[in-house]
Parts: sequence; structure tokens; C-alpha cells
Amino acid sequence: MIIIYVVLAVLILYVIGFYNQLKTILVQIGASTQEIGNQLKRQADLIPNLVESAKGYLKHEKEIFTQLTDARKAISANKIEKSQELISKALGALQVIVESNPELKASGIVTDLMAELRDTADKLMYARRTMIDLSANFNAKIVTFPNSILASIFNFQPQKGLEITKEEATNPIVKL
Amino acid sequence: MISFYEQIQRNKIRSSLIVSIFIVFVISAAYLISYALNLSNGFLFFAFVFALISSFVSYYYGDQIVLTLNQAIPANRKKYFNFYTVTENLSLANQTPMPKIYVIESEAMNAFATGRDPEHAVVCATTGLLKKLNRTQLEGVIAHELSHVKNYDIRLMMIVSILIGTISILTNMATRSMFFGGNRRRNNDDNGELGVLLSILGIIMMIFAPLIAKLIQMAISRRREFLADASAVKLTRQPSGLIQALEIISKDPNILKSASPATASLYINNPSSLFSTHPPIIDRIKALKEMI
Repeated sequence: MIIIYVVLAVLILYVIGFYNQLKTILVQIGASTQEIGNQLKRQADLIPNLVESAKGYLKHEKEIFTQLTDARKAISANKIEKSQELISKALGALQVIVESNPELKASGIVTDLMAELRDTADKLMYARRTMIDLSANFNAKIVTFPNSILASIFNFQPQKGLEITKEEATNPIVKL
Repeated sequence: MISFYEQIQRNKIRSSLIVSIFIVFVISAAYLISYALNLSNGFLFFAFVFALISSFVSYYYGDQIVLTLNQAIPANRKKYFNFYTVTENLSLANQTPMPKIYVIESEAMNAFATGRDPEHAVVCATTGLLKKLNRTQLEGVIAHELSHVKNYDIRLMMIVSILIGTISILTNMATRSMFFGGNRRRNNDDNGELGVLLSILGIIMMIFAPLIAKLIQMAISRRREFLADASAVKLTRQPSGLIQALEIISKDPNILKSASPATASLYINNPSSLFSTHPPIIDRIKALKEMI
């Protein structure tokens, strides 16, 4: 009789543990989604600043400004991959200009903004990866037996992670 | 090509194997030494408690002691932008709280992590390191340090040092009681050959145990370094950053003078060579290149 109780208790504890664990991951996924949003917003806010402060120095570099403005548009349209590609292109070009222009380098304003921009790009990358990792972790947990049965009882659906559009998949970022 | 997941898994298995061997070794060494010299259990107990207390002090106050000894100052976001933001970003990916970050004014290139758990972690880098590495390389180094934090290496090394402390206190006391104490008569002389054999083993242990213990400690520490390297790649997904950083650090002529042996195991690179806590940089780079 005691054995049955013990087995029952262990089973109940296992179910509770499983449920709480998955709920925790779901909350973390929610938080990292929010983090992605935060960083995108910060990036979108930084771009006009950079453009404004660099305008005087970079009259002839129209292309960079077009790239940055397009990147900002892509951010508001939620095309993350596209915007990051444009930003890294613009950052590369800006870097070359700053290196060859001592006056610009000395002012520090443009370089500071560039550093901030690179940082948001990194943060965005890490936030997205965290979310992908968490989703993968979640999905791995709900497909293995006996968790798969519990998952269907509690109606835990596989997490999609980040949805990547076709366009994004065909335009991978080339990192040098 | 071995993925970092496999590397991490393999390192975890190997280090738990080494730790178990170590515990078995310490227990049998302690037993043999007390058998050979007919020491009472009190000695063993005393040695253990003493080692425990001293390790706990270093566990709770070690980070403060190290930072003070090295004259480390807190790093702010404005002055050390890359260091600050890289740590911030990697903590996000590591899913640990952002550690306190400090810098040491020194031309030498080094970094270390300390603190007993992720909530009390401290990451410290020299100004030389921050100056000579670019952002990607710095990411590799910081990811390595944050991996030490997440893998609870500081806690592991504390357990190891408690065991080592026990052995060295025990052998110390045993040596002393051999020369001065020797007044208790062995009452199990009738054990015959086995008793003699155990006694001889005990004496041998007394001489070699501290050395062997030290060697095993180094083995554990090196294993944790490889693990931290692999975990760092899991964080950054860019082995090249850490590889380049290690190459630059190994070619750098400046050596951090105040690198204390107490924390040597947590430095990115350990300047001392004989009983090195770190694997050779060439081997580390080789392991990292397998992950590309």
C-alpha cells in the first residue's frame, strides 16, 4: 500500500515539475521576445541621431544615408535580417570614412554613435539567439516520451522561435 | 569536426570522472596515512575542519581579497564601452545576471572571473587586454570568463582545495607526530602481512600524496579550461574571436605580476608554467579550431 502512495507521490511531483519547467521557459521566451523589440526600437532611435550628427561631415556620402534610412524603414516593417544587413553595410562604409578623416575621428560623436549602433546590433543578435535556443529547448522537452503525453494533456504547442521569411532566408548576411 | 555541444558534454563527463577519482584518492590517502602512523580519527577530523574553514573564508571573501590585492577599479560604461557592453550582451546570451566588472591598470593582457555563484560574479580585465583586443576578440575572452561563472568552476575549485587542504594538513601533522609524538603503541600488530603492507603504503602516501593531489588538481583545472572554451563558443558562435585573442595574448611580452596562485585557475591565461593550471595555448587553439 505504501509503495503505491510513494509511486503516486513521485508521479505527481514529476508532473508538477514538468509543468512548472515548461511554464518558466515560456515566460523566458516572452521576455526575450520583448528584449528583441526593445533593441529594435533603440536601434531605430539611434539611426536619425547618427545621420543628424554626421550630415555636416559626410555631404558626399549619400549612399550611407540611404542605407541607414532604408534600414530604419526595414526595422519598422519588422524585416529584421534586412535591416541588420543594411546597418552592417553602412557601418563598414562609415568606418572607412572615419579612419581616413582625422577631424571626424577626433570629434568622437560619430564614432560613439557607431559603437552604440554596433552594440544594439550585437544585443539584437544575442536576444534573437536566446529566443531560438529557448524555443529549441522547449520543443525538445515536449517531444520526448513520456513528456509528449503530458504536453498534449496541458496543450503545450511547439514554439516557432523566430519566423524567417523567404526573402530573409535567401539573403544571408555575409560577415567578414 | 566536433560540435561544441559534444565538446561540452565530453568535458563534463571527463571532469566528473576526474573529480570522483580525486575524492577516492584523498579518502584512501587519508586512511592509509592515519593507519600507518596509528593516528586517531580526531586528527583526520581536525584536518578536514581546518581545511573547510579556510576554504569557506576564501569562498565568501576571495573575490574582495583578489580585487583589493590587484587594485582593481570598477569599470564604467562610458570609459570602457566595449568591455561593458560586451559583458552585458554575453550575460544576456548566457542567461545569467550581469556580473560586476572591474579593470586592473596593467600593460599585461589578462582577465579573470571570481565570485561564488552567478549572482555574485565578478569579471575583471586588465587595461592592456582591453586596449589590444578588438571587440570580437574581447567577446571571446569575456565569454570564456562568463562560462567559468555559469559552470560553477569557482565552487568546484573550492571543493578541490578543501580536499587538498585536508591532505596537506594531515601529512604535516603525520610528519610531526612521527618525529615528536611516536608514543602510542600500535595495537593491531597481529594483522600480519596486510598490516605491514598498509603501513608501507601509508608512509609512501605521506611523501607523495601532496604532489599527486596537486597534479590531479591541475588536471581538473585544465579540463575546466577546455570546457570554458567550448562554452564560450556556444555563447559567441565565433571560435575565431577567442582563437585570435589567445594568439595575441600568447605573443604578448607583458606578464601580470600580481597573478596570485589562489586565483590563477580563473585567469584566461596563466603565466606560470611548471604546475600549470591551464593547458598550453596551442592545445586550446587546436580544440577551438575543431569547432569551426
